[in-house]
Amino acid sequence: MKALLQWIDDRTGVLSARQDRRQAGVPQQPAWLGVWPSAILFTFAVQAVTGFFLWTFYSPSAQTAWESLYFIQYEVAGGWLLRGMHYYAGQVLLALIGLYVLTMIFSGTYRAPRELVFGLAVVMAAMTIALLLTGDLLSWSQRGYWSTDVRTKFLFLLPWVGGDLYKLAVGGPGMGHLTLTRFLALHAGLFSAVFGVLLVLHVCWARRAALRDAHVAFRSAKAASSRGAEGQEKAAFAERKATLVDSRVLNALACVAVMAMVLVMSCWGALGGRPAGQLPGDYLGAELGSPPDPGDAYAAARPDWYFVGLYQFAHYFSGGWKIVPIFVVPGLLVLGFLAMPFIARWRAGHGLNVVATAALAIGVVALTAISKYQDAKDEGHQASLAAAEQDAVRVKELIRAQGIPSAGALALLWEDPKSQGPKLFKQHCLSCHDRAAADGSGMLAQDPSAPNLHGFASAEWLAGLFDPKRIAYAPPRDPQTNKLQCTPTDRPRYFGGTEKLVKGDMVDFVKGNLREVRKDVGEEEFPKMIETLAAEAKRRPGEKASAEVKQAIGDFTCFDCHHFHGENKAPSAPHLTGYGSREWLVGIISDPGHPRFYGKNNERMPAYAKTPQSPEDNILSLRQIEMLADWLRGVWYEPLTHSE
Amino acid sequence: MESPVRATCHCCGGPGAGPPRRGFLAKSLALVLGAAAFATPVVVGIVSFLNPLRQKGQAGELVRLASLEGLLEGGPPVKTPVIMDRVDAWNRFPKQPVGAVFLRRTAKDQVLALQVVCPHAGCFVDYDEANQRYVCPCHKATFDLDGKRLEERSESPRDLDELEVDVRGPEVWVKFERFQPGSTDKIPQV
Repeated sequence: MKALLQWIDDRTGVLSARQDRRQAGVPQQPAWLGVWPSAILFTFAVQAVTGFFLWTFYSPSAQTAWESLYFIQYEVAGGWLLRGMHYYAGQVLLALIGLYVLTMIFSGTYRAPRELVFGLAVVMAAMTIALLLTGDLLSWSQRGYWSTDVRTKFLFLLPWVGGDLYKLAVGGPGMGHLTLTRFLALHAGLFSAVFGVLLVLHVCWARRAALRDAHVAFRSAKAASSRGAEGQEKAAFAERKATLVDSRVLNALACVAVMAMVLVMSCWGALGGRPAGQLPGDYLGAELGSPPDPGDAYAAARPDWYFVGLYQFAHYFSGGWKIVPIFVVPGLLVLGFLAMPFIARWRAGHGLNVVATAALAIGVVALTAISKYQDAKDEGHQASLAAAEQDAVRVKELIRAQGIPSAGALALLWEDPKSQGPKLFKQHCLSCHDRAAADGSGMLAQDPSAPNLHGFASAEWLAGLFDPKRIAYAPPRDPQTNKLQCTPTDRPRYFGGTEKLVKGDMVDFVKGNLREVRKDVGEEEFPKMIETLAAEAKRRPGEKASAEVKQAIGDFTCFDCHHFHGENKAPSAPHLTGYGSREWLVGIISDPGHPRFYGKNNERMPAYAKTPQSPEDNILSLRQIEMLADWLRGVWYEPLTHSE
Repeated sequence: MESPVRATCHCCGGPGAGPPRRGFLAKSLALVLGAAAFATPVVVGIVSFLNPLRQKGQAGELVRLASLEGLLEGGPPVKTPVIMDRVDAWNRFPKQPVGAVFLRRTAKDQVLALQVVCPHAGCFVDYDEANQRYVCPCHKATFDLDGKRLEERSESPRDLDELEVDVRGPEVWVKFERFQPGSTDKIPQV
């Protein structure tokens, strides 16, 4: 064993170099300052290890990046912990380097002969930010994607080369596969390697500087010891300082503290006990939001804590001036930090550096607080966060039910009525239709001019339609704008807001003849008619109705205007066959002006898919209309909960 | 990193007076703590790296491969693709070919199913119509219609792998399995 070590040492000098240092007695500046580099080195090692193992699972493409992370988070044993450690240790690394730089400034150890030692620390801090920013995108989640989208587009602020730089950064005209491959190569390759080299250089140079300090201290102490008792005391102190005793315990404790912190942050979600009905991947480790939808920008994308101050600062600049907070100020800050050791040569320089650094730190903290405060009271921001959280939960539900298709997890959301229904309704229907319960919860149109579709064609909805007081009800109109003065609960539910239907035959009938018809047929038949009509929503296309069903409807003179299972071949109002069924809804959304529906009486409702033979001409695809119909009918996949 | 612990230590001795044992204890303690801290990510990483060992293939599923009428009694073997939902890590691909099976109807309601994979090195064997035998394109091992090796010293360590067949009325169901290549025994790959 000894021979082997000797053999290695003869060729590398590794062991004797260590011996030399011990004999020479390498002291440090204050002991606690010596702990920083150890902790930084350790945290970087953690990042290298966890990063490597993540790499063995990660698949950098637009359809697999998020999906492979889902696999790590939920399927791989210990995967959530691996991700959590890598995520939080990255933040800890930046915090450590930031605090290290600050302590060097405040303790004055950045001054000669440590200009380069300090400069390396500053560059390492910048490199850590580069690592965090590139890593941020790799999760390919709503937050990472849209944050990166904004950041890379800042490159356009640069004159002349901006557009080209953007293309180089994202690997093409827009974000996609090549953005991920590029960012992974930068993150796991270039930036990590550069950081490692800088770190090694930093540690070596810091040692060199410390050694020099020791010699200086020792020489001056020796000189002083020949000058009386006070001098001897000083000499003893300096000697003590120069004597080497290893502080490995202190350093090891720092590493343990870093690891403990990272573990606590990774397991934070479990501190309040295991949330009911959730998987470990849901509440442990780093959060995995929903995959990014390039057609649906995530409004709540915010940078991580270290950039929130800059983000808020950038708010105070607009248009072309954004170049100031995004490029000029950060660039000047780095240069300023690098120049500090040289400024300190000037008599008041050190004081100036300390004051400037303190002011900067206070400013960043204040800006961060302002931003957090504004977001907390911004309802739109909170709503976006909630919507993204909902998508994240939903996509995972769908994955558990169906697996991830080759088009990626996002395709599951795109095909999901529960997710797409509200979006489609908001885009295409909400300009006229409400979809809200009686208490006003749901989606409310600004100026409702068509029926509320909440529970459309259900028995409850139909009961209101046949109520003379409700069918044409509308709150009064504002005499100046001619708009309905709606409150969330006081609104037209049926034809009150429409222009033509409110004066149409149906309203006439419900307000007039219906009372007599009910008397003639028998009051007890009326709820039966409503139940029978509501049951049409469940009828499969082509399924025939019994004579009883026909009679239940026909008795109320509905066939005077409506077609129903072969009755009334020339109707003047929408068909009631399969009223409210998926097929019926798909039909009326596709083409409400079709004779089967409102025909020429169609008021303003657009045909969303009038020409099935040329889908590209239509506003919505058939699939979108189907999802809208399913959503209106409340038909979508729901996982079984434990109570069921 | 090293620093003057002795100078700051108040619990024992004066400066520079610590016995060598304390140095040894401190060193060991540091080593244990540091190793424990660093072992955490390493262990977690290795556990997740070994995750593939916990994952099972889709071996042994019964699949409907053909209708009995499509196979001629005493006729030549028919190479039939096995269509199954394929799981690849996080992806699920519905109804994809995952392998193939030679089906041969030996009697009215009997079907012989042979894995197309040669037990030697895992190549797909071909059916040689003219000589009524299977030939492996890689190392020229040959097998008769029942999958028995034809050479005395065959490249293949065993006969072609027969699969369990279940004829359910007009449908031919096969228990689709893969076996480890290279060994004389049929060892299922799971």
